[in-house]
Amino acid sequence: MSAEVKKGDTLLEVRNISLSFGGVKALQDISFDIRKGEIRAIIGPNGAGKSSMLNVINGFYHPQDGEILFEGAVRDHMKPHQVARLGIARTFQNIALFKGMTTLDNLMTGRMIRMRTNLFWQALWKGPAEREEVEHRKRVEHIIDFLKIQSIRKTPVGRLPYGLQKRVELGRALAADSKLLLLDEPMAGMNLEEKQDMCRFVLDVNDEFGTTIALIEHDMGVVMDISDRVVVLDYGRKLADGTPGEVRDNQAVIDAYLGVSHA
Amino acid sequence: MFYRESGDFKTSYIQDQQIFPIGLDRWFVAVVCVFAVLVVPFLINDYWEKSVLVPVLVWSMAAIGLNILTGYCGQVSLGTGGFMAVGAYASYKLTTMFPELNMFLVVLLSGGVTALVGIVFGLPSLRIKGFYLAVATLASQFFLVWLFNKVPWFYNYSASGQISAPERFVFGIAVSGPNAPPWATYLFCLVFVVVFAFIAKNLTRGRIGRSWMAIRDMDIAAEIIGVPPLRTKLSAFAISSFYIGISGALFFLVYLGAVEPTEAFGIDKSFLVLFMIIIGGLGSILGSFIGAAFMFLMPVLFKNIMVGGLGWPTDLVAHLIFILIGGLIMFFLIVEPHGLAQLWRVTKEKLRLWPFPH
Repeated sequence: MSAEVKKGDTLLEVRNISLSFGGVKALQDISFDIRKGEIRAIIGPNGAGKSSMLNVINGFYHPQDGEILFEGAVRDHMKPHQVARLGIARTFQNIALFKGMTTLDNLMTGRMIRMRTNLFWQALWKGPAEREEVEHRKRVEHIIDFLKIQSIRKTPVGRLPYGLQKRVELGRALAADSKLLLLDEPMAGMNLEEKQDMCRFVLDVNDEFGTTIALIEHDMGVVMDISDRVVVLDYGRKLADGTPGEVRDNQAVIDAYLGVSHA
Repeated sequence: MFYRESGDFKTSYIQDQQIFPIGLDRWFVAVVCVFAVLVVPFLINDYWEKSVLVPVLVWSMAAIGLNILTGYCGQVSLGTGGFMAVGAYASYKLTTMFPELNMFLVVLLSGGVTALVGIVFGLPSLRIKGFYLAVATLASQFFLVWLFNKVPWFYNYSASGQISAPERFVFGIAVSGPNAPPWATYLFCLVFVVVFAFIAKNLTRGRIGRSWMAIRDMDIAAEIIGVPPLRTKLSAFAISSFYIGISGALFFLVYLGAVEPTEAFGIDKSFLVLFMIIIGGLGSILGSFIGAAFMFLMPVLFKNIMVGGLGWPTDLVAHLIFILIGGLIMFFLIVEPHGLAQLWRVTKEKLRLWPFPH
């Protein structure tokens, strides 16, 4: 494992990733990097391969070609739960919370990878198990305060409205204290106010916890406002990469979004 | 109202994380436990032991076991009867091979053996889900019962193919065999059920229980936050089988005394335990007890009322009971699909506000 990665250094790098399902080429020769401490947006029209890209980073899909470097070390063929242990957390486009569990339990599950008391102490609920539970509870309560979801602490998340569920899901990803947070359309389906709240949370997470964030988003206003750098995908290929300003003025990007006349 | 949580302030996380966060619940459970241990043994007679208390305890144990697997971890299993048979035959082999072995140890080891068998039959769960897994676990049901019928080593080459519980003692008092006093067999089962019910409660509210529920509710998301699916599912199979094995051992050693596998551990037992947890409440330890009591005691109660009280003919009553039990199951599932434990939870929430509606 490499030395401590400093702010501004490369945290995650994907090199020449190609992924195909049978004849469908989902990703073709994609390379980009995510620097520590930045907010990196991945945008592109529907079917561009954005979610596939996140799934590759998460270890759900294994690309046919290319490699992924996390903190400078090549990482190959890991299972999703091993990737989680490296320090990569994720939220989903369609909420993937544990609906039968309370908000608190959802967040506590987010800290799974940091808990290690064995079956014996768990069964007794004394000594190390109790201490560990309290220690993690403190951290989780901190996140609950941060996201302002104190009042729904003990509500089963299945009963919560959509906007709050999205917030709890962010909380669960935060609870892992990960180095890299992948957000798959965190603002999809939200009204303006909820979007503003969510933007503020994303910025605060980045600011307060120093978490590096990579997000997929369709709302261009949001993307241009909060991200440091943007990578644009279309039909599995990388179209552009740069600051929001650069990307906005890129002709290929404008063509992809607005269409181009073939006359 | 007496039942309330107002004024019951929590000032530390330890207090907030108790098994029974409400003071009155704690007192109630303590009183029930003390009553069960100190009073019931003096009142118990043969009828109460054989027809009510011991079977309810044994079935509660099996229901807790299956609830861990199906209610908490979401893996449907129809192999309960087979796993109970493993517990029974393991205890039989252990206690006949090592007659001096402590009975508590015999029962625990039988649970351990069943846990190992459970892990093996849990392996397909990584690939198969839902109804398909239920069908796959049927294999364990039929294979295990077939095995215990087929291989004479398991029943010590006895001519009848049956196994019967030898007389064994704990602290000089018989707990198995025909001469065991009712209070001793009752206490023997009670110790296991109480201790392991608390352990189940602890496991399900901690890290392991949360990882089971995570797998149950959304396996992909569970994996992404670091829950290893294979290990988690197999741990649920192991611990669930451990409980079911203990219940099988008690069922054989203490309750039945003599067992023929096809008869005692058939597929109907797997369904019975599954119905217990569905009626009682999936994902609830209390529900396991309520479900076991409901499914086992309702027929006994109806029989006592109709034959004993009203003097109706036995065969008529036997058929009426089927109709009534079936009707009651439908009634409760329509009123509360999440089981009797949920009904109790809702009642408690209402009681908190009583007499005000909101």
